[in-house]
Amino acid sequence: MTADPSKAPDPAPPVLVLSRATVAYEREPVVEGVDGEVAAGQSVALIGPNGAGKSTLIRAVLGLVPLTSGTIQVLGRAPQAARRQVAYVPQADTLDAEFPVSALQVVLMGRYPRVGWVRRPGAADRQAANRALAEVGLAERASARFGTLSGGQRQRVLLARAIAQEPRLLLLDEPFNGVDALSQDLLLAALGRLRATGAAAVMATHDLGLAHLACDEVCLLNRHQIGFGPIGTTLTPELLRATYGGQALQLRGDGVIVARP
Amino acid sequence: MSLLDAFGDGFARRALLEAVMVGGLCGAVGVHVLLRRLPFFTMALGHATFPGVVLAALAGISLFAGAAAFGAVVVAVVALLGARERVDDTSAVGVTLSGAFALGVLLLSAQAGFSRDLTAYLVGSIVTVQPGDLATTAVVGAAVLAVLAALHKELVLGAFDRDGLAALGYPVLALDVALLLVIEAAVVSSIPAVGTILAVALIVAPAATARLWTERLRATMALAAALGATSGVVGLAISLQWRVAAGATIALVAAALFAVSLVVAPRHGLLARTTSEAPAPTPAG
Amino acid sequence: MNLFEPFAIPYMQRALVEVLVLGALAGAVGVLVVLRRLAFVGDALTHTVFPGVVIAHLLGRSLLAGALAFGVLTAVLLTTLGSHRRVGNDAALAILLTSFFSLGVVLISRTRSFTADLTVFLFGRVLAVDRTDLYQTLAVAAVAALTLAVLHKELVLRAFDPEAAAAMGYRTGVLDLVLNLLIALVVVAAVEAVGTVLVIALIVVPAAAARLLTERVAAMTALACLLGAAGGWLGLATSYEVSVDHDLRLAAGATIVVVLVGLFLLAAAAAPLRRRLGRGLVAVGGRAR
Repeated sequence: MTADPSKAPDPAPPVLVLSRATVAYEREPVVEGVDGEVAAGQSVALIGPNGAGKSTLIRAVLGLVPLTSGTIQVLGRAPQAARRQVAYVPQADTLDAEFPVSALQVVLMGRYPRVGWVRRPGAADRQAANRALAEVGLAERASARFGTLSGGQRQRVLLARAIAQEPRLLLLDEPFNGVDALSQDLLLAALGRLRATGAAAVMATHDLGLAHLACDEVCLLNRHQIGFGPIGTTLTPELLRATYGGQALQLRGDGVIVARP
Repeated sequence: MSLLDAFGDGFARRALLEAVMVGGLCGAVGVHVLLRRLPFFTMALGHATFPGVVLAALAGISLFAGAAAFGAVVVAVVALLGARERVDDTSAVGVTLSGAFALGVLLLSAQAGFSRDLTAYLVGSIVTVQPGDLATTAVVGAAVLAVLAALHKELVLGAFDRDGLAALGYPVLALDVALLLVIEAAVVSSIPAVGTILAVALIVAPAATARLWTERLRATMALAAALGATSGVVGLAISLQWRVAAGATIALVAAALFAVSLVVAPRHGLLARTTSEAPAPTPAG
Repeated sequence: MNLFEPFAIPYMQRALVEVLVLGALAGAVGVLVVLRRLAFVGDALTHTVFPGVVIAHLLGRSLLAGALAFGVLTAVLLTTLGSHRRVGNDAALAILLTSFFSLGVVLISRTRSFTADLTVFLFGRVLAVDRTDLYQTLAVAAVAALTLAVLHKELVLRAFDPEAAAAMGYRTGVLDLVLNLLIALVVVAAVEAVGTVLVIALIVVPAAAARLLTERVAAMTALACLLGAAGGWLGLATSYEVSVDHDLRLAAGATIVVVLVGLFLLAAAAAPLRRRLGRGLVAVGGRAR
């Protein structure tokens, strides 16, 4: 993606730069040729069918899987060096519902990089955690066991954990999956506030409508990159058809329905 | 029951001290075993430690050193096997457990005094504990508890959300290995008391009992340690009174505490769940 | 090393028949245990049968009968043990099996010959198998083999797709009980020969090795039986040769297990080679484990 010449040059360096990033597993590429930049305050939707490599790409940005070729730079450094500034929001149902932790304790986990080894979170950390919980509308449930919350509430707690980390880059894996409408609204609002502080976000999602609401850029993936650019100009019927292949139906005129996203 | 009299002799008092220390240590470690769903692995570790103990005894070196070294090898083998396609974790553990155990039996069977030594390693022989053993247990126990305290929040996060721990930049593998070494230390410490086969009982049962009574993790660990020590003391007393195997009695007491709690614990016990209404699910939002 | 000579002696012949039958049966049952990742449950059953053996011994009854009674009892118990959410299945299983085992140890510890008896029950005494023992083993094995043959496709279906099995009207609880009973029967049959501790190896190792070499259940079963029997034969021959010729007493049961693990490691080494050969012929499928 090249900078839009009609905008003033962006003074701050980009938060995330991907250059022909490729991840392969046993010599078969899982995702390849991802090229793009994400500036502070921007958010990118990662869109593509199941198996397109969205989760793998996120893990590569986190430094959890190695790149086979190409580069990824987070805040000008290798992913492993920038982890303190990068917050990860997984899908809530990947976590054990029986685990004996309260919502507040989960949010406190986001403060660990600041707390460091051996020491326990202090008063300032607890304040930050409580503020983050309030941001997602769950202040009154702070002492509830994580597993007793609804799916949407748990997802909000995980976002609060990321907020408490005060990150420069936020990575979300399908944050709206199976989440009730109220939680979706609260998640979107909290995400917006976080972006206003200058954090960038990359969000894998199926939901094209929510992508429009939450993100200003989109990266279309189907094992390789099909497009990366502003959502208005990149989320087009042709590119969607190229991304979803046979799963996209052309409506009369210009519309496209994506079946089985 | 002449409980106090039973503890009058030197050997009984040493056994008592050992039972308290080992019980407390295993209880605390057991909470982490439960959090990461490792009871089967712990059992396998106990079985697989057996040849290490035999080798150490034959070579005349410290049981801890031999067992720890062998345990590390076993952990590596299980990890390697389990990482291959089409060998799932439980089968990998099953194969390693059997192989290591048979190896230990073979090593011992070539010696005289086969069955007596075998029994001691398998089901414990706490009444023959020596002052040197007590000192070792104390040192190892203190070290383990210190590690668990220092790494508490990292270990808990790693058990709850392994990816999250990695995403925050922590060395996940190193922490996993540290915990496995801690579990191995607990297993080896408990061999004189309860033997390799029953070590898992003293590690898992008090912790499982504690989890029935409280939701808070630190309280669970304290309670588990207390229950472990209690099982040790009560089991030892009963075994001295009725002249039956001490290790097995300790394991039975630990299991009995669990069984009772399973029924009567408030909120999580069977009685509580059948006599109270199920709470209505909170509305979304 | 001579693989046939030791078996001219009658007691070795009986031992051989015993381990051949056990190896084949355990291998066949083991396929289901490995496919359903039930090694832990299988191990639990071996521990819970132990007190039955002890009680039978103390009462002067047939060890097999004691093992059978406790085997059936605990198979039922394990099947009905619903998962108590707070405790988790593994923890409950571990506590259950150590309790049963401890009970057995406590009971036997009151006798004078504590350590010797314990050793025999845990590790077997395959060389002391007499005609009656052999016939009893064969009887139990026949029952187990018949059950397995009759219900094989249902058990395999339950292993692969419990929901489809339930949808077709099979009672998965009953099928689980049948499998647990089968495992218990194998343990019972093996008690005298290899003891309760080592029988888990007979169940898991040949099947795990077969799994590495083939993807089809029928082939896997045949291979597991073959490997189990081969392990028994090689193990017996080895322990005899070493004990007699090199004066190093090797427990027969343990030797069999070590041989089986050796066969497994060979299979593990051979597996990638086999796959590479096969890859040229067959389209590569999914990589899911």
